Amino acid sequence: MSRGSRGVAGQGGCCCFIIPTEVLKRFSHDKKLSAEERQAFGEMVRYEKLWRDFRVDRTEHLRAVQAILPSALTAAAAGPPAFSVFDCRNGTKLPGVLVKKPATSTDASAKRAYTQTAAVARFFDQVFGRNSIDNGGMPLNSSIHYSVKYNNAFWNGSQMTYGDGDGQIFVDFTQSNDVIAHELMHGVTQYTLGLDYANQPGGLNESLSDVFGSMFRQWQAKQTVDKADWLVGREIMGPAALARRYTCLRDLSKPAGKHCLAPQVTNFSQYRDGLGPHTSSGIANLAFYHAAMAIGGKSWEKAGRVWYGVLTGSGVKPKMTMKQFATQTRKLAGTLFPNEPAVKTAVDAGWKAVGL
Amino acid sequence: MARLQVERLGGLAGLGGPLSRIRSRGEIDCQSLSAADRKAVDKLFESHARPKSTRSKPKTLGRDTFTYRLTRATSDGEETIEVPESLLPESLFGCVRDELV
Ligand SMILES: [Zn+2]
Repeated sequence: MSRGSRGVAGQGGCCCFIIPTEVLKRFSHDKKLSAEERQAFGEMVRYEKLWRDFRVDRTEHLRAVQAILPSALTAAAAGPPAFSVFDCRNGTKLPGVLVKKPATSTDASAKRAYTQTAAVARFFDQVFGRNSIDNGGMPLNSSIHYSVKYNNAFWNGSQMTYGDGDGQIFVDFTQSNDVIAHELMHGVTQYTLGLDYANQPGGLNESLSDVFGSMFRQWQAKQTVDKADWLVGREIMGPAALARRYTCLRDLSKPAGKHCLAPQVTNFSQYRDGLGPHTSSGIANLAFYHAAMAIGGKSWEKAGRVWYGVLTGSGVKPKMTMKQFATQTRKLAGTLFPNEPAVKTAVDAGWKAVGL
Repeated sequence: MARLQVERLGGLAGLGGPLSRIRSRGEIDCQSLSAADRKAVDKLFESHARPKSTRSKPKTLGRDTFTYRLTRATSDGEETIEVPESLLPESLFGCVRDELV
């Protein structure tokens, strides 16, 4: 696929998607319009569905290519990713209106979304030799000011989206660098293990986003594990949450902590199917924390390499369980660091501490 | 259908989970919705009423996106469905209020 066509795909597709599907459908039956016009609107509806399917197919296609080619070759074949920021202007149509010069924008959200997304891409490039989400230079698009007082940030399968928060429980979701890395990481997981989003793979999926989000936060601050706060979403807490002493969304070091607005379970004995992915992810989050702390130094240099190696070196495993992931990290720790048995011991102990 | 109870689930904060400290609920009088939105809501319930095997389940790669639990009263009792935010009429977004519990 040429770089040009990838650019179009990454930008949310054809201009017709600015018009809601329902409106397109209505126009396609509107007797006041000519037959050609009605037909054109009908085709737009069909094209939108094709575009949605294309996103799914593209992920599957790229995964297949990457399974064949060595990762360094795929990464080098494409140029570095382009970063774009779109402003939803409190609407819900994605991607929204392109922000012309986000790096120097007077809109702090636009500037943060641009700067931090570029920083996450740099983190993946410099630390793991990964070229963007798909390791093929995929353009990274972010939409800001999504909906009204929207208490969320999400990855929709092809881009990141951030709400402004209600100003009470949450403030602007672009304010935490680990939240930006968390959402982008969902893209990386989509193009690698392709984990499902329920039960154990769902919990693993969420944990990978928290783990790499926290790792990016530490890398950006040049912190060793003992200096890191291990928090997710510290800067998005609003006044009402802070007044109740919630200082973060999650804490990898204390997933069940009273200071967590979104507490999690901490041991596999508490796991059951149906537990939400944001709750069960505490098990794998805590395992990573224990492993990284026992190894010491910088989380991305050893524990991070082991986790990344399993993420990218296992093929597509949508149903991977926590135990399978743990087993793979134990094996890879020994392979990657044959002269440092302490790494394997730390990884093993990390998983044992959470009942795996 | 007169009143529709709405609960927001999931998202980055994992709303609706057993340990969740945010509750996001609301209610809306369906008569206050536009005819198109009322029809869209009816369609959501209708598509869930079909047997699972005949429902079209869109492939979704969305992560941290919200899901909504909609409950309405029928002559046979209460009927509850869960739908992704992307399928919900936007006019329903505003009827839920996030509260710390
Ligand atoms: Zn997530």
